[in-house]
Amino acid sequence: MPVAKGIVQLVAIGLVIAAALTAVAVLFKWLPTSASEELDRIAAIYWFVTIISIAIFSLVSAVVVFSVWKWRVSEDDDRDGPPIHGHTGLEILWTAVPAILVTAIGIVSAVVLARNADAGSNALEVEAIGQQFAWKFVYEGDDDNPTGELVLPVNRSTRFTMSSVDVIHSFWVPNFGQKMDAVPGIETEIVVTPDRMGEFEVVCTELCGLGHATMRARARVVSEADFEAWLEELRA
Amino acid sequence: MTATHHDTPAEHYPRRFEPPPGTLRSTLFGPNLVRGVWMAALFFGLGTLLVLGLRWWWGWDPVWHTEVVLAVAAMTAAPIGFLAGIGSFDYWLHYFVGRPTEPEDHSGHGARSWKDYFRVNTDHKVIGVQYLVTTFFFFTVGGLMAMFFRAELAKPGLQFVDSQTFNGLVSTHATLMIFLFIIPAFAGLANFAVPLMLGAPDMAFPRLNALSFWLLPIAGVMFVASFLAPGGAFGAGWTGYAPLAEGQPMGQTFFNMGVQWAGASSIMTALNFLVTIITMRAPGMTFWRMPLLVWANFTTSLLVVIATPFIAGSQFFVMFDRILHTDFFTPEGGGYVLGYQHIFWFYSHPAVYIMMLPGFGIVSEVIATMSRKPIFGYRLMALSLIGILVLGFSVWAHHMFVAGMADWLRVPMMITTLLIAVPTGIKVFSWTATLWRGRIHLNTPMLFALGFVTMFVIGGLSGIYLGSVPIDIHASDTYFIVAHIHYVLFGGSVFTIFAGVYYWFPKMTGRMYDERLGKIHFWLTFVTFNATFFPMHYVGLRGMPRRVFDYKEAFGDLNFFITIASFGLGASFILFVYNIVTSWTRGPIAESNPWRAQTLEWQVTSPPPIFNFDEIPQVVAGPYEYGVPGARHAVMSPAKEGVQEPEEVHA
Repeated sequence: MPVAKGIVQLVAIGLVIAAALTAVAVLFKWLPTSASEELDRIAAIYWFVTIISIAIFSLVSAVVVFSVWKWRVSEDDDRDGPPIHGHTGLEILWTAVPAILVTAIGIVSAVVLARNADAGSNALEVEAIGQQFAWKFVYEGDDDNPTGELVLPVNRSTRFTMSSVDVIHSFWVPNFGQKMDAVPGIETEIVVTPDRMGEFEVVCTELCGLGHATMRARARVVSEADFEAWLEELRA
Repeated sequence: MTATHHDTPAEHYPRRFEPPPGTLRSTLFGPNLVRGVWMAALFFGLGTLLVLGLRWWWGWDPVWHTEVVLAVAAMTAAPIGFLAGIGSFDYWLHYFVGRPTEPEDHSGHGARSWKDYFRVNTDHKVIGVQYLVTTFFFFTVGGLMAMFFRAELAKPGLQFVDSQTFNGLVSTHATLMIFLFIIPAFAGLANFAVPLMLGAPDMAFPRLNALSFWLLPIAGVMFVASFLAPGGAFGAGWTGYAPLAEGQPMGQTFFNMGVQWAGASSIMTALNFLVTIITMRAPGMTFWRMPLLVWANFTTSLLVVIATPFIAGSQFFVMFDRILHTDFFTPEGGGYVLGYQHIFWFYSHPAVYIMMLPGFGIVSEVIATMSRKPIFGYRLMALSLIGILVLGFSVWAHHMFVAGMADWLRVPMMITTLLIAVPTGIKVFSWTATLWRGRIHLNTPMLFALGFVTMFVIGGLSGIYLGSVPIDIHASDTYFIVAHIHYVLFGGSVFTIFAGVYYWFPKMTGRMYDERLGKIHFWLTFVTFNATFFPMHYVGLRGMPRRVFDYKEAFGDLNFFITIASFGLGASFILFVYNIVTSWTRGPIAESNPWRAQTLEWQVTSPPPIFNFDEIPQVVAGPYEYGVPGARHAVMSPAKEGVQEPEEVHA
């Protein structure tokens, strides 16, 4: 088999697989509609990792498919293949390249993590308290007015301080992309900066008992003015 | 204990520890299952009396406390009684009480009829088969549980079961698959193959080996029996997070104790493998000439020995919190909730590699043999196992990125997690390079091995997403996680177990499986597996949390599709069972080396002689010298075809 022809065939198989996977990645909407700056940043890493993943999966599966296609023999064939024991150059290459790729992913992730944890100086402080099987939110300075509905002003960071009165719960709004456990005995923190107005769902994602599947709350992102009005109403 | 014993036919060994067979006395008092049952009942009674006596003496009210009685009498004393009854301790007890030491007569060794599989047997080959049959039994039970809760999840809302039963099914499914299938199925395959591959007559500690096996059904029965406990099965997930686990009904104690028995079994087996691999290699079998399956089990055993005590501890702490009213994980009493997760994952992350490295070993054997080429980069393949072993201990907190642990731990744990992709990548690339220009025999073991390589890459890549902390924050505790672990543990581990079972089936049974059925089994499994688990990535990222019986209408169609696909996956397993059972009983007689492999287990008859090797092999080269003219792994006389009849088997 001419080497050049084989390489062309191998690359062609790889490209077909990569094209199919890219279609699957692009045609379906894998992430929820983003309603926060944090999920926008998460989506950026998500796409970065997706490109690398498609490349690696296409490479490996193309070699497997190509090898089986080219070098499959019948069951009664009793010859052996060439005694190739290894290739130092190749082995260094496939140690180094993944190391570089994962380091890049690590750096990007660490940067995004730091930015997603930064609430800035003008953050709204909200306590989120988990209890089987409901969420309770307490706004800064309104300790006497807990609410079951989460209302947030758009384009302003909110720092959630979380706790639990019984077992571990986990606070997640899929459209915000941020998640943190509410743990009995300690306080945990997470920052969300909503950038889209609308109604979303707060989901408990840590198994918390019989009613875990039904532990939901409503989250509304409204304009700053509407938020102030709502807060006034809450205090009244 | 080598060739000399084999000169005497096994039937002539006296059975010193047993009364004459066939009498009522031997049935009742001989080491057998009957004695196991009545001694378990006796020990249960003694344990109950101990609890009641102590509680009465201290004046505790009430004297009868069901959970304490169950923990002490049913889950501690009765299993010890059972083990003593079937004769696990006979030889040691004899020694302890100071009677003259009995010379080992090997009466407990080997299987001459199907009944020999139902007693304490010290033959590693019999134990390997015992492990595999037991684990596939629990695989079936765990799989049926999955079918049940997939039916429940076919549409939103509650259909068939209540919430506690749903949580119990999900938790028990995972627990059985991990502790009663994947981990011990690998132990079973390795039990059969490793001593043979080393050129050893048996494991280093055959009696310990037998004991390790018999601990396993005890754990399995405990997990399943939790459904009968008042309040239902344990419903805090296989992860059993405190404090939820501490408020669970009594079934949780079944989990806490079951893990102890399964864990003890793992630890003993791992010690046995370590000593066997270190001390019982045939002359010339240096570490750098060991087959990669042996390397894989060496590293796995190190992981088991170091990590397993941590999960044992975590479950004891939870049980103590539950019934002794300690406060390890109760914040009201000064306990630290996250402490549970740190201890639990310090085992349970390495456990992922315990469930993966033996599969790497199996796939290395299969791909080299079926491609008729040496494994590509043998030394780097072995070293990458060591790399995973070392890194594996430094990544546990990546399960806790959203748990509220110390913030500074996240980035270092992310780096080590991502770095594991490097040794894993080396292995994947080396397997594909082994295929390159080979002469590929695409039979059932090879199909499963190649299915593994591709599916495991998907599981590894979704692991990269989860390794990145910001993506993990979005995706953790969703169906994306469910998809990821099933690509790793089903597309990964289970595929390699199938590959291993088909690969060694002729060696174990002396008979050949049906190749056509095997291939159909592979393709059905491959397609339905992907149809079941790939869409879970999507529903997870879109917002469906895991471990829920109810979900948003929007996910209804896909969940219905997943449920149908999972039924197909379940059905494909029936084909496997049919193939194995019929081939085992009526299949064509297998040659001693149907794959023309070079490792030592294929140089003896199928099934192997009772002490494996009539003469000790002299190892002269590496295990995969395919295509090297005149090269051999070991020097020994060729197997004498037809000397050994296939074992009589009643499946």
